[in-house]
Amino acid sequence: MNTTDLRSDDPQSAAPAPRLFGFLRGFRIIPRIETYPWVVAFAQTIAGKATILALFGLGLYYATWLHYLHNPRWKVQICFLVVVTALPQYRRIVLVLGTICWAFGIWWQWAEHSQIAEAAISLALAALVFSLAIRFRTSWFGRRPVATLLTGFALTVLLACYLPKGGMLRTMSFDFLPVFGAYLWFLAYSLIDISSKKRDSVPLQVGAYQPIWGSSGTPFPKGSAYLRRIEAKTPEQLAVAQLKGLKLLAWSIVLDLFLNFVYMPLVHGYLGIPYYEFVFHLSLLRAPFKWYVGWESLIAEFLGKLVDFSIFGHRIIAVCRMAGFLALRNTWRPLSSPSIAEFWNRYYYYFKELLVDCFFYPAFLRYFKTWGRWRLFASTVAAAGFGNAFFHFFRDLNYIDDLGFWRALAGFQSYIFYTIVLSVGIGVSQMRQQNADKKNPGWVRARLISPLCVGGFFCLLRIFDYTYKRYPISESFRFLAHLFNLVS
Amino acid sequence: MDRKEVVRKFLQTLLAHKSDAQPFSDDASLFLSGRLQSVDAVALAVFLEEKFGLDFAEMGFDQERLDTVNVIASLIEESSGAAR
Repeated sequence: MNTTDLRSDDPQSAAPAPRLFGFLRGFRIIPRIETYPWVVAFAQTIAGKATILALFGLGLYYATWLHYLHNPRWKVQICFLVVVTALPQYRRIVLVLGTICWAFGIWWQWAEHSQIAEAAISLALAALVFSLAIRFRTSWFGRRPVATLLTGFALTVLLACYLPKGGMLRTMSFDFLPVFGAYLWFLAYSLIDISSKKRDSVPLQVGAYQPIWGSSGTPFPKGSAYLRRIEAKTPEQLAVAQLKGLKLLAWSIVLDLFLNFVYMPLVHGYLGIPYYEFVFHLSLLRAPFKWYVGWESLIAEFLGKLVDFSIFGHRIIAVCRMAGFLALRNTWRPLSSPSIAEFWNRYYYYFKELLVDCFFYPAFLRYFKTWGRWRLFASTVAAAGFGNAFFHFFRDLNYIDDLGFWRALAGFQSYIFYTIVLSVGIGVSQMRQQNADKKNPGWVRARLISPLCVGGFFCLLRIFDYTYKRYPISESFRFLAHLFNLVS
Repeated sequence: MDRKEVVRKFLQTLLAHKSDAQPFSDDASLFLSGRLQSVDAVALAVFLEEKFGLDFAEMGFDQERLDTVNVIASLIEESSGAAR
């Protein structure tokens, strides 16, 4: 099977570029070294592997130093990469050991011994749920394991909220639930894998839970089943994966340098554009500011966040590729997206994939079968709307513990509005794509007008995403009205 | 037209929507490689349901089983075998 990563190529390259910019076609700041046969051949030798590992280690060290971080993760990652490069036939086993050593080692180093016990119980519970789903494959639970898991988790959180505040049981519950919650979506991917003929065993599944290359609540890059599929099978594939990993790390450092030494000083220093948070507070305090200052700060925040988020995803995927997995990038040229659906796909790929796998496919294939032309739209709303809100609401359990379940849900109004608008936007965009005229839209429309409109949509939506949970939705609407000079 | 050819034609249409005119072999990865996305997967699933009577709600949905022309052809074969 040929799994070339085409996310590094531009599918829109078929759109004709104006002659004036023709010479820029194919130009890359970092050349595509993985396509040079002699580089790939060198990368398969011992000297080549040592060179790539040394360069990668240097890059990881520099990236950590750049942010004055004293996190020892880069050292652990390099040790892991050396072992996994030397023993590619044991890659998955080394990954399991590396992930477990890192997960428990960091809590040990930080003397958080209770966290070690909670993490161990969470992993044992995950293994039990996975085994039960396989054992009772034909039961209701076995046929709908993800829905059962998520419902069970939500009900447990709800019940925990009714325990007396300050009591030992509640404290213990809200100590344990966030730790288990950190593994929740990884376990969901394991449960999706139970229908696969070649599913991985429990230890291999655990190796993909908060893996050593890093992750958030969103599994990077998906679960154990995905790792099995994208694993380099030959020395040549490993060389290509590692070269791509090295390139991606280099690109993340370029973006980091641009963000911290060019973009931020230029935007917030030289041009004097205030931070979005500051302008939003002016709006909260009813202090006057010009409408265009609101736009400036919002656009600056939106673009800065895009770059920052790209760096975050690139670092994780770079280490993953170095370990021999041909994972797709998390963020890939979102600003050149010709549609809302495409932006959503390119901005946070692995979160979108999580929602697709856990909500979109089940809704589309099982629940909305008779909805005709609205089937796609309804499934999209179920995933990008309901699934998105569910993920974020149950992510921050300390917030639910502080406010109580129902008050926390009421405080979530701004984000719920965000998910509704987002999901409707994506749904409409997908339906438009399906019905679109297949004629070439032309360079100006494909590369300028559409991406500008799409960027504008997400930029405005950021108002409701940014402030969620902290302020009532009326404040987000007030800021929005300020942008159009409708309030003083 | 045989099954593989029917599937190949449909995949070519999906790729054409993305301005992707690159040729692909029967063994070339389309979803794991990122050439096709989840929306394309459901379009393909609907196509297979309508054209070949597959029922993904029953058999479970696995993107890997739609990744190449060969894999899709064997899925259709398997499904029609089970129906018989």
